[in-house]
Amino acid sequence: MTTTTLPPAPAGALPYDDSEMPLALVQAKTRRFVLRVIWTSSAFLVIAGILGLLLRLRQGEVITLGDNFWYAIMTAHGLGAFVAWAGFFLMGITFWVLMKVGFPLRSFVLPEVMYWSMVLGVVGIVLTTLLAGFAGSWVFLYPLPFFSAGQWSDTVTGVFAFSVLLAGVSILAYCAAVLHTTISPALKATKDTLGQRIALAFGFGLLFPSRFKTTRGKEPYPVLPFAVNAVDMFLATLPFALLLVFEIIQSTGRGFSINVLLAGNLLWAFGHPVVYLLLFPAAATYYYLIPRYAGRELVAGKAVAVAWLIALTMNLFVWAHHLYMNYPDGQNVQQSLGTIMQPTTYALVLPSALSLYSIAATIWRSNFQWNVASKFLVAGIVSWLVAGLQGVINATAAFQETLHNTLWIVGHFHNMAFLNMGLLIFGAMYAFLPELMGKPWWNERLGSWHLWGTIIGAYGWVTCQMIQGLEGAPRRWAVLPDQYLTLTHVSLGFLALLVAAQLVFAYNLWTTLRKSPFDDPSAVQVRGGTQA
Amino acid sequence: MMTSLGRGIATGYLIFVALGLIIAFGVLWSTKAGRRDKGQGVDIERAERAEPWWGVFVVVLLAILLGLTIWRAPWFSEDDSPKDVQVKVTGMQFGFLVQPTTVRVGQHVEFNVASKDVNHAMGLYNPEGQMIMNVEAVPGYTTSRSYLFTEPGSYTIRCLEFCGYQHHKMIYPAFQVTA
Ligand code: HEM
Ligand SMILES: [Cu+2]
Ligand SMILES: [Cu+2]
Repeated sequence: MTTTTLPPAPAGALPYDDSEMPLALVQAKTRRFVLRVIWTSSAFLVIAGILGLLLRLRQGEVITLGDNFWYAIMTAHGLGAFVAWAGFFLMGITFWVLMKVGFPLRSFVLPEVMYWSMVLGVVGIVLTTLLAGFAGSWVFLYPLPFFSAGQWSDTVTGVFAFSVLLAGVSILAYCAAVLHTTISPALKATKDTLGQRIALAFGFGLLFPSRFKTTRGKEPYPVLPFAVNAVDMFLATLPFALLLVFEIIQSTGRGFSINVLLAGNLLWAFGHPVVYLLLFPAAATYYYLIPRYAGRELVAGKAVAVAWLIALTMNLFVWAHHLYMNYPDGQNVQQSLGTIMQPTTYALVLPSALSLYSIAATIWRSNFQWNVASKFLVAGIVSWLVAGLQGVINATAAFQETLHNTLWIVGHFHNMAFLNMGLLIFGAMYAFLPELMGKPWWNERLGSWHLWGTIIGAYGWVTCQMIQGLEGAPRRWAVLPDQYLTLTHVSLGFLALLVAAQLVFAYNLWTTLRKSPFDDPSAVQVRGGTQA
Repeated sequence: MMTSLGRGIATGYLIFVALGLIIAFGVLWSTKAGRRDKGQGVDIERAERAEPWWGVFVVVLLAILLGLTIWRAPWFSEDDSPKDVQVKVTGMQFGFLVQPTTVRVGQHVEFNVASKDVNHAMGLYNPEGQMIMNVEAVPGYTTSRSYLFTEPGSYTIRCLEFCGYQHHKMIYPAFQVTA
């Protein structure tokens, strides 16, 4: 009935390894945990998607919404789609991929902290925005949360900041869990010291095989992006948490305030890497899945190990590319940061460029298995290239004067977040859900409708936004100047197609859950409460 | 309507997208039944050895782009030469104070952009509706940016940094440039 099952791992790939918990138990618990994250994050996508649609419908003057409500929706949509859907999904799927390359979870405490603090944080964000009217945008650029022009109180700001802090705690717990899982006995270091383990986890075994030996052969490539992301997000979330704590203190009315430029830097020292909280796990998942469909191991040598060391370091030193336009007179430090961070951002192109090369070489003339899952993945990879080119443009300060805070930026990050990571997420659902649920997809053909509706709908929509941006359409305007209305209407047509495609997907998923027969009896008990 | 810089960006972007798509489709095409590797054709080790050279190639391309563009970063583009007029633009929730409100064609104008409350930005649109300038207004600081006006008419200033629930109404409709 279906061809979406994963082909067997290529020869040479490592089987599931032993661990501190009995194999079957870890497998079952991981399966349940990952499924829970998938269902929860998908529910967040439904909410965030509807909110996004409302935003665009208002811009197209199809519906009307109160001004502050529009911006409250925008705030909830940004955090919801980015963190609560894409970020959360990828955080969950991480543990499935890691297990499959021989790095099973060693404890479920941190993943549970990750799960519940994210859920609570998202609830807080939804309540403070949609009900209490917090509308500072998902970056809530300081000092805006405290200048609401009468639309929300400082207390609401405090609760909102606390909710975001909970999402931050979720990310910290995730990072700790990933490091605990990867810098682990599973590396099978010949000399099992902490130093050897750390070096092996970050790819030194690939670079200097004689100094960093293991008994398990090459380190599986997916481990690299996961581990790199965990370190970077750990380091990046701390300054952001500090900013949130400052804001919570200020919200209690202690007559306390922060320097605006400093706040901007703290925000983006987190705000940049958080983008890679999506990209790096996505890269790791491609590294895992593409070789499965191509029937050979990832074509990657030392270059890829070097690329991830560049990513590890540079990711933390590019934040000022979000502040290129902040160059107040006499603030030489801020200006120099801009000058330095254009080249560091360019350097950060390398991990993407080399990954794309490796993936392309893996697919090249392979016996590639084309099915819905692998088509979604390939479409996501092409978007990685396309949106990556936009990224180079955005990294160029001289171009920012034309692009900053226009709809081009909004088009760009949807091209990256939705059409790269989003398509990967759908691909991963097609690929992994059969083994997670223990049953095949109900209907493969519906998957093709989903694929093409999503690609055409989403590319049509983001292209409209990018053109509007190049024509100077400002970002975050509830009502755009009239000159942009036509393209907004065109994009609404594409969005209708996009929504229809997601309905097809929802129907297919629903029917799979209800009607598709189990082909893996061990999954029956796993599915437990998800049965309709 | 796009500015000439906007058109340049779009053109360069489309060229690279086209090249990228051609390569991508070539790779996908190579998995068709007739073209597949039957176990002798593809030299994986060679592909691995070539990967660093691809990296070098990308670095060279980016270095060229860096050399061409970094000098045009807005903070390098300002010179110290005396300007003909200073125009003070102060943002506040939700409007702009502009002084003076009229300049003449041919004048080299320095805008001093500031804010009274939150972050705003001065997006300057020419009579054709093209955005020709985009300067952040950071509370507590002044940012200076100059422009040589060559075209008379009525210019619009729009706020380009999200500043609250009336952000989209933060418009200064008529900054006059007289002939
Ligand atoms: C599902 C994947 C999506 C992701 C990851 C995502 C992410 C984001 C993010 C991070 C923002 C920035 C919010 C802000 O500027 O404060 C945003 C804004 C926006 N999104 Fe999405 N989004 C997604 C889907 C959608 C959909 C399906 C729509 C329309 C139906 C949509 C329409 C919008 C609009 C209109 C804005 C505000 C643009 C503006 O600044 O004027 N998004 N999105
Ligand atoms: Cu960034
Ligand atoms: Cu504004």
